[in-house]
Amino acid sequence: MTPVMWEYVRPEAVAWAAFIFLVGITFAGALIAVLPRNIIYNVFGLATCILGVAGLFIFLGSEFLAMMEILIYIGAISVAIVFAIMLSQPLHLTIPPTWRPKLYLSFAVSAAVFVSFSIIVVRTPWEEALLRSDDWTVLRLGRLLLTRYELLFELISLTLLVAIIGAIITAAALGSGRGKEVK
Amino acid sequence: MTPAAPNDYVLGLALLTMGLPLLAFFLVFFLTRRSVGLSCFISLACSAVPLLCAWSLLLGHWRMPVPLLWEVVWMSSGGATATFGFLLDPLSLLMLTIVTSISFLVQVYSLGYMAGDPGKGKYYAFLSLFAWSMISLVVASGLLQLYIFWELVGLSSYLLIGFWHHKFSASEAGKKAFVMTRLGDLGFFLGIIVILLHLGDLSILGLNQNAALKLGPGLLTASALLIFCGVVGKSAQFPLLTWLPDAMEGPTPVSALLHSATMVAAGVYLVSRIFPFYQASPEALAVVLAIGAVTMLLSSTMAMVARDIKQVWAYSTVSQLGFMLMGLGAGGYFAGVFHLTTHAAFKALLFLCSGVFIHHFGTNDFFVMSRSGARGLKAPMICLSVAGAALSGVWPLAGFFSKESVMGVLAGLSNPLWLVVGLLGAAMTAYYTFRLLFVMWRPCESAEDPLHGGGHGEHAAWAYWVMVLPLIALAVFTVFLGWGGRGLEAFLRWHQEGVAEAHHGWLVWASVLVVASGVGLAWLEFGRAGAAQAGFLSHLPALERLFARRWYLDDLYRLLLDYVVYGFFSRLFTINDRRVVDGGIDGFCRGTAGAGWLLSFLQSGLLQFNLFSMVLVIALVGLYFLLV
Amino acid sequence: MNSLNTYLFMALLLFCIGLLGLLKRRSLIGMLISVELMLNAAGLNFMAFNRFLAPDPAVGQVMVLFIMGIAAAEAAIALSLILALFRKIRSVNVEQARQLKG
Repeated sequence: MTPVMWEYVRPEAVAWAAFIFLVGITFAGALIAVLPRNIIYNVFGLATCILGVAGLFIFLGSEFLAMMEILIYIGAISVAIVFAIMLSQPLHLTIPPTWRPKLYLSFAVSAAVFVSFSIIVVRTPWEEALLRSDDWTVLRLGRLLLTRYELLFELISLTLLVAIIGAIITAAALGSGRGKEVK
Repeated sequence: MTPAAPNDYVLGLALLTMGLPLLAFFLVFFLTRRSVGLSCFISLACSAVPLLCAWSLLLGHWRMPVPLLWEVVWMSSGGATATFGFLLDPLSLLMLTIVTSISFLVQVYSLGYMAGDPGKGKYYAFLSLFAWSMISLVVASGLLQLYIFWELVGLSSYLLIGFWHHKFSASEAGKKAFVMTRLGDLGFFLGIIVILLHLGDLSILGLNQNAALKLGPGLLTASALLIFCGVVGKSAQFPLLTWLPDAMEGPTPVSALLHSATMVAAGVYLVSRIFPFYQASPEALAVVLAIGAVTMLLSSTMAMVARDIKQVWAYSTVSQLGFMLMGLGAGGYFAGVFHLTTHAAFKALLFLCSGVFIHHFGTNDFFVMSRSGARGLKAPMICLSVAGAALSGVWPLAGFFSKESVMGVLAGLSNPLWLVVGLLGAAMTAYYTFRLLFVMWRPCESAEDPLHGGGHGEHAAWAYWVMVLPLIALAVFTVFLGWGGRGLEAFLRWHQEGVAEAHHGWLVWASVLVVASGVGLAWLEFGRAGAAQAGFLSHLPALERLFARRWYLDDLYRLLLDYVVYGFFSRLFTINDRRVVDGGIDGFCRGTAGAGWLLSFLQSGLLQFNLFSMVLVIALVGLYFLLV
Repeated sequence: MNSLNTYLFMALLLFCIGLLGLLKRRSLIGMLISVELMLNAAGLNFMAFNRFLAPDPAVGQVMVLFIMGIAAAEAAIALSLILALFRKIRSVNVEQARQLKG
């Protein structure tokens, strides 16, 4: 590639292209995460979608959150889901096709929600705050987490702890047949 | 005439009189019912003290200047206040004395009569309750208090009439008495409500003084007639008179109490209690007069054919009550009250004497008694004759004077019909009373074997004498009470000095003649030697059957019950119950179950179905708020 | 590209796709994936407001961090529940878990 070529390529156009690409993989991933009946495809779809969303986060100005997104969703949750699939769902069993009315109904309901919320989005007169700071640093984020949102931070940590303990107990005790067996 | 407040001494006496019987009831009923001796002692003691109190009150306030009133406010609502307390004036003092005396004598008598009955403790408890209700009714200062105790009197008489409740007829009779008197009490209660609404004052003094001024004539008559409904029920007047003869199912001392001083007397007492109120409405008095007359005639005819000794006295009570009401209705306040007083004495005596015979021979049929040797019991026999003569109005016994004063009032009316009716009633009374007496004195010669057994002939002598002593006390009253008429009249008519009821010289002879003819007829048919002992009515079988069946009043009630109450209302209510109430509830239940069944589809166990509903509702609510 | 509504509509679309999956999938794991999508949509929404409207850009990020925390906890619990359920009914099909049928 020659430098001349770069001069013709405007940064806005690159940004547009990147944006469209990200949107594309987000929704493609989302659809893959929802539509196919094979559960493994869904997980990959979810991962793709998360990548797109992380990219959008960069567009929205927060590289830190984009990293966290990838770390948590792809690194932790998707892997956990894959483990769960391996532990539970026998992939060789075919799943019977979805009952048609249910399919239509879920489309209709989702569409209704979409329409309803779209109207909200369109109708609401969004207004910018009068004074806006542009301090996007991670430093400030950390400060806030340990000062103003200290309590929430502790709470979320506690929630995670409890969730993990609960998950262990649920998976270990309830699942191991010590609970009442149901056909 | 403003009432005065009683001093502490009088207050104490009055409260003692009112409170002790209730105390006795609670003690006996809840604590000592099982031990008979103790129960009798408590009850008698709590009956003797009020007796003394009542007599001392009466004698202490002879010729009292103003009534004594003592009240506590029970509740106050808007303009109306309900008070409890007592009102002592000549009428209530006299009645109080009568009630306490008779109830004490009856309690003494019951010692012998009820000897050996397993329920004696309970019996005495009920007697105390009865006495308490009647005493409180008599001294009541307001109509509401009077009504409450009026109902309590009804309740306790129900309990006593049905005392031998294991006997079907007794429990039926108690029920009948209760229901029929309740029917009248409904009218009474409505009358009280009318007065309360339009006058706002239920006190007896206020009613007597102000009612005529404040109520319109129509309203006055209406309320007076409504209250008279209660009197009709309680005093067994036409058309509610059949419960009283049936009430004979109770123990005989109870009948004595019921017929002389309590229960039935309460009705007449009520009319005389608010007599000025009645006087303000001539129409109401006319109705009282007419009802009294009809009742007297009807029940006298019934008494002429009865063979049960207690039935005869029961009919005679009804007819004498009718006679009192005639006196009151004709405007003779004193005449009615005087006859009530003397009647209490001799009617109690009659019943107590009959009780001795019944107790002794174990039967109620006086023909059988006579054949079994009733003449042998000298003292009761003499007492019975004295009382019977008093009932017929033989000179110089109590009944003669009081009947005479009622006749005097009747003669004062412009329409001679009432006097004729009164004389006719007197003749019939003399006839049926002496019919019974002659039968008792002269047992039929063609008797089969004397009947023994079944009774309590072998009873201990103490029981006999315990029963005879009250008889003698009452007989003394029966003989001498009539001579006290003048003094009593002055006492009762304190506020209208010098108003004497007109006396008609010829009237005395007329009534003596009438009584004599009745007695003579009875003698011809029953008393003379070799008499067939069959009344002239036996030649008129249709009439006899009519009288014996109580003029078919009971059958009429039966028909009314069958066709109107059971046939119409009950069926209507049954249909209502089945279709509307049951159907409604069934429908409601079915609706609930159906709705639950429908809703259970929502609980399909399908998680996503619930999610559908949830999200759909959220979307629709969002749309609604956005679009509206 | 640089307008609030664009991002809001994207978040909404993402949310509705997640909702569609939540309603339609019978596999519990599939439903869990859909829920993750919806949570992401919420996070995207927060970030969009943060970017275009909010006075302090740190606040929205904190919120998104919390959402992630919640999502992690939810995933842990949900997966363990799914495992427990699978051991009971040998299936992760939500239509077979009907013990609560009325």
